[in-house]
Amino acid sequence: MGNYFFDSATVFEELDRVDGKAKVTGQAKYSAEYEMPGLAYGVIVGANISKGTIAAIDINAAEKAPGVLGVVTHLNITKPAGYIAADATKPAAVRGLKVFDDNVIHFNGQPIALVMADSFERATHAASLIKAQYNKETFSTGLEQAMKDEKPLEGNQYKESIRGEKDAWKNAAVKVEGTYTMPNQVHNPMEMHATTVKWEGDDKVTVWEKTQGVKSTQRDIMQAFALTEKNVQVNTLYVGGGFGAALRTWPHAMAALIGAKKIGKPLKVVLTRMQMFTLVGYRPEAIQKIAIGADNDGKLIGMMHEANAVTSNYENFTENIVKMTRALYSCANVTTKYNVYPVELSTPTWMRGPGEATGSFPLECALDELSYQLKMDPIELRLKNYAETDPENGKPYSSKFLKEAYQLGADKFGWKDRHPIPNTMMENGWKVGVGMSTGIFGAFRNEAKLGLKLMADGTLIMQTAVSDSGPGTATAMTKIAADAMGLPYNKIKFELGDSSLPPGPTQGGSSSTSTVGAAVSTGCVTLQKKLAEAAKSSPVFGHIVAVENFLFQNGEMVLKTDPTKKLSYSEVLKNAGMTSIEFIENSGRNPAMEKYSAYSYAVHFVKVLVHPLTGVVKIAKAVVAGDAGKIVSPKTAKSQMIGGVVGGIGGALMEESVIDERYGRWINNNFADYHVPVHADVPAIEAVFVDKPDPILNPVGSKGMGEIALIGFAAAVANAVYHATGKRIRELPITPDKLI
Amino acid sequence: MLLVKWLKKEAPVINFDYVKPTTEQNALTACKDPLAQFIAGGTNLVDLMKRGVTNPEKLVDITGLPMSNIEQKGDNIFIGSLALNSVVAEHELIKKHLPLLSQALQAGASPQIRNMATVGGNMMQRTRCGYFYDLSMPCNKRTPNSGCGAKEGYNRMHAIFGASDKCIAVHPSDMCVALAALDATVLIANGKLLRRVPFKDFHKLPGSNPEKDNNLLKGELITGVEVPINAAFAQHSLYTKIRDRASYAFALVSVAAALEMNGKTIKDIRLAMGGVAHKPWRLTTAEQFLKSKEATPANFKQAAMLALKDATSYGHNQFKLTLAPNTIVHTLHTLAGI
Amino acid sequence: MCQQPTNDAEKQPSLHHARRNFLKQTSALTALALAPSVVMKAAEKKLDEKAAGFFEQKTLNIEVNGKAHQLSVEPRATLLDVLRENLHLTGSKKGCDLGQCGACTVHVDGKRVLSCLSLAVMQNGKKITTIEGLQQGDQLHPMQEAFIKHDGFQCGYCTPGQIMSAVACISEGHAGTDNEIREYMSGNICRCGAYPNIVDAISEVAKKGGSRD
Repeated sequence: MGNYFFDSATVFEELDRVDGKAKVTGQAKYSAEYEMPGLAYGVIVGANISKGTIAAIDINAAEKAPGVLGVVTHLNITKPAGYIAADATKPAAVRGLKVFDDNVIHFNGQPIALVMADSFERATHAASLIKAQYNKETFSTGLEQAMKDEKPLEGNQYKESIRGEKDAWKNAAVKVEGTYTMPNQVHNPMEMHATTVKWEGDDKVTVWEKTQGVKSTQRDIMQAFALTEKNVQVNTLYVGGGFGAALRTWPHAMAALIGAKKIGKPLKVVLTRMQMFTLVGYRPEAIQKIAIGADNDGKLIGMMHEANAVTSNYENFTENIVKMTRALYSCANVTTKYNVYPVELSTPTWMRGPGEATGSFPLECALDELSYQLKMDPIELRLKNYAETDPENGKPYSSKFLKEAYQLGADKFGWKDRHPIPNTMMENGWKVGVGMSTGIFGAFRNEAKLGLKLMADGTLIMQTAVSDSGPGTATAMTKIAADAMGLPYNKIKFELGDSSLPPGPTQGGSSSTSTVGAAVSTGCVTLQKKLAEAAKSSPVFGHIVAVENFLFQNGEMVLKTDPTKKLSYSEVLKNAGMTSIEFIENSGRNPAMEKYSAYSYAVHFVKVLVHPLTGVVKIAKAVVAGDAGKIVSPKTAKSQMIGGVVGGIGGALMEESVIDERYGRWINNNFADYHVPVHADVPAIEAVFVDKPDPILNPVGSKGMGEIALIGFAAAVANAVYHATGKRIRELPITPDKLI
Repeated sequence: MLLVKWLKKEAPVINFDYVKPTTEQNALTACKDPLAQFIAGGTNLVDLMKRGVTNPEKLVDITGLPMSNIEQKGDNIFIGSLALNSVVAEHELIKKHLPLLSQALQAGASPQIRNMATVGGNMMQRTRCGYFYDLSMPCNKRTPNSGCGAKEGYNRMHAIFGASDKCIAVHPSDMCVALAALDATVLIANGKLLRRVPFKDFHKLPGSNPEKDNNLLKGELITGVEVPINAAFAQHSLYTKIRDRASYAFALVSVAAALEMNGKTIKDIRLAMGGVAHKPWRLTTAEQFLKSKEATPANFKQAAMLALKDATSYGHNQFKLTLAPNTIVHTLHTLAGI
Repeated sequence: MCQQPTNDAEKQPSLHHARRNFLKQTSALTALALAPSVVMKAAEKKLDEKAAGFFEQKTLNIEVNGKAHQLSVEPRATLLDVLRENLHLTGSKKGCDLGQCGACTVHVDGKRVLSCLSLAVMQNGKKITTIEGLQQGDQLHPMQEAFIKHDGFQCGYCTPGQIMSAVACISEGHAGTDNEIREYMSGNICRCGAYPNIVDAISEVAKKGGSRD
């Protein structure tokens, strides 16, 4: 046994979310909740054709409707500077869809007008009075059709990647192959996208925006309207969920900026839930072929993975769908191909576990299928092909504790009780099955600047322009600083969501804790040095001023050699005649990382019940074991992993956004018909961590978590369903109709 | 290139007049205007108004009328049309005498919606067909003669019984399936005499006029339902709802079943299905077949096959041709304890 | 002639009545008052709707979190929008505006309902409790404390609705087991996936003998 849990110098202590009280009392304000005099309400009107041009648009009735303050269309728009490229050889500053730029319709639901009125009801009603005539063109919205009719996009990112011998899998002793489909999935954060805009004159604006990137939103607005950094203020104190949908500055936000400028009043634009399906991205549908060959001992001989997915007809969206197949297992011969077809839908965007969540479904199902053919335990098969170095480039890993995660998860789940033969276990009239899968996602660290202020009363204030869409960034940063500085939590304040703060990263790709945490960690080291320097003025320590000689605990500097000699931080400042210590810490990538590959890992274990007559699938139990490096804030980390599993339940069992390809319109674009899990779908879920630091990626030792929490989960469910029923479902979601 | 002209769109969130009468007579008078509608819980009507599917110019709020009582009247349970779904579901009389109704209500919507929705409103709720809700797609139910989007479109949730060329939508209620099974009677006021309509005849099939969901006439008001007490059924009844998630979802199919057993023999039986037709679908052929037969898996299976004799599918909903009989069998198995 | 709707519950004149009176007083249109109702209706729509709109409001008396309010609202305004936009009580959230997510859950006369599907004008005389009214002074409601303790949220957007629903779930007597809690909380969607933690929070409060409301 040993002393494992007591090794750490820091005593384990649960830290509640630092914004918890604001969130449970309704005081936390989201982007549509700022009160200001004269606030107007904007409603976006969407096109109801999928491709063509607007022949005529009648805004007369809308303009005359009660309370209407103005209407913006492509005919009356004052175009922002960033719509037009200064240099014809370069693209315009505003990328993607330039809202109201012209009369061209790229997808059904594309904004054709913004109606602004003095109340939400009046704006909504007036919006319905907008009438448009179109020149309609033929279109396609479905991947299957596009694959038949069109050619995929060409370019380096779509080229076939071949490692070793191309068709090696075909000659293997044991092989599996299959085609897997996955529908469009929609992020659907609970807060609908909202933008509140207040112009002061023509060249200064404040925006309250739902965004995962405060600085990226600020940059987009600066570029669109040719404004200076100090004249664009972006506020994002609270974000009601993002999952990727708030990574971009979307057309509705640009519409709000244009509209508010037109009417000369503060304006807020909130999308409807229906618009959340068309205007803020989605995970694109995919049809994937996979083939794996192994020898009789389970050693992988070759793999082939071809993914087909959609993008819009005006932007090339790509994600790492096939990367996991190249990177997860040790296999000499791997061929991957990624085909992307433009269709008449809006541009997809990264959704939790982007790429890997899609690619892991065929990969981890195929591994499972192979394990049954080999009559080998699925974990054993994975360990047999465990990659000790990165198969893509031979680099060592900065850290990899996937083996430990398999063990930890298997023990917690009780995997050893699994019956090796499928379709054999029953409980109370339900078929029982268990399944597992692996998920990986690159571990990243980006640049951040962090403002630190140690105040006269010993309070530490940290500031950076990030936003937090839910994982609890401020909470984790508070924990890191508290541990480093020996300060109680209530003496630490982490400020975010304000573009005037030192620039921080966008919250995406599971990198916030790694990136910002690194800045907090090194910032605290710098602060300790500055404190030691300031302590020169304090006679109690005599001539000893080198930082190495001190402990920083309980808000005090303590001399290591004589712990009776100590001084509180506020006394250090006072003795030095300082009112505060303030500085900006710059943090970036560790150059040593060039030599390493870095990934986070999750292993999902699921027990399902399948009703033999009705095909209903229940998740009876789920365990996720993660290697996400050092766990900074255990409580919020656990919640984030559990949350990813819940998202995974949605993707596995129910999420499917349906488009009628004749009309190019969404059929189930609301929460009653696009099902996401409810309480009754979700059992108790256990999240466990290896909790070993990555020694190289960043000084905190943490790796990302948000993505791996979900990646692979759908495969684990499909594998469990196979174990329960003997039916291999290769089409998501696994609804009752597929099992009867 | 084709020039498409769009018809005048319906207008969501139109403003309207609002009155709240306190007597039945005044309510009926207030609702005589052609574009007036009653409102009670509003859980479907407000939704429909927000989407522009329904655009009343006047709402007559009937929640001030004394129509929410639940009581035993002789051999019947009377339920006022304004009784809340949650109150009915948990009422002692209902739990004791009509557990099937209680179960069906609990299977519907969410606790919050059941706290708002009334019995009369539940009967009046409209289909959840996606084409019905989208003003930019055809729907004969919403806009007569605009076509049916679902028939050759996405029809996974749609009818397998009694549909017409004009409409293949289903009625979304759970409560109504139980009331149809239990031979309830609908009580309707029209200012003159009280009209009594057997529950199975209240809703209609789409036929050539799918814009009408039921046989209630303009100027009429549902005042309540009467449900006969059957002690045997109260002992053996079950509502099974199959859906895409475990709660807060409309039925793919549902089955309401009540049995009266005499030893191993079925003395009497009531069977109805939801999610399969434009109205709650009573399975009379299956009922007839099972009467006086033994409760065996073979008999249940045959009854389920008989029940599906006239079923048709439209593509995406083909699975219902299997799911429906399986759910009937599963429900009867559970109920008979086999 | 046009039939005046009966309106015996409220003393204020009906919308059409008030609006027509206003229109009658507009000199240029006096003649129209004599026109058949259908014609008048059509004519009305071409009139100065902005001015007429002023009369399309109803008086609403409601008590919100113990405080009485007299408001003038359009009949089409929902309770949720009146809370958020008129009273600036933004704790009740708009997650779908269609009664499909539960984020707008409030208590009306002690019962949990969806404020996005409740017309404000129909709440006349009723007592509303929102998340802002749950705590007593500085003292959080036990359910609020339990949500913090069990980390029953991430982004926080569904949280007010979850908490209002959770308090009612216990007072209704539907928090006997974890499975019962799951079923009776299923009207509240959480996209971050905090469900297991929420169930833990409710279960703990229920076991401690329920909660104050």
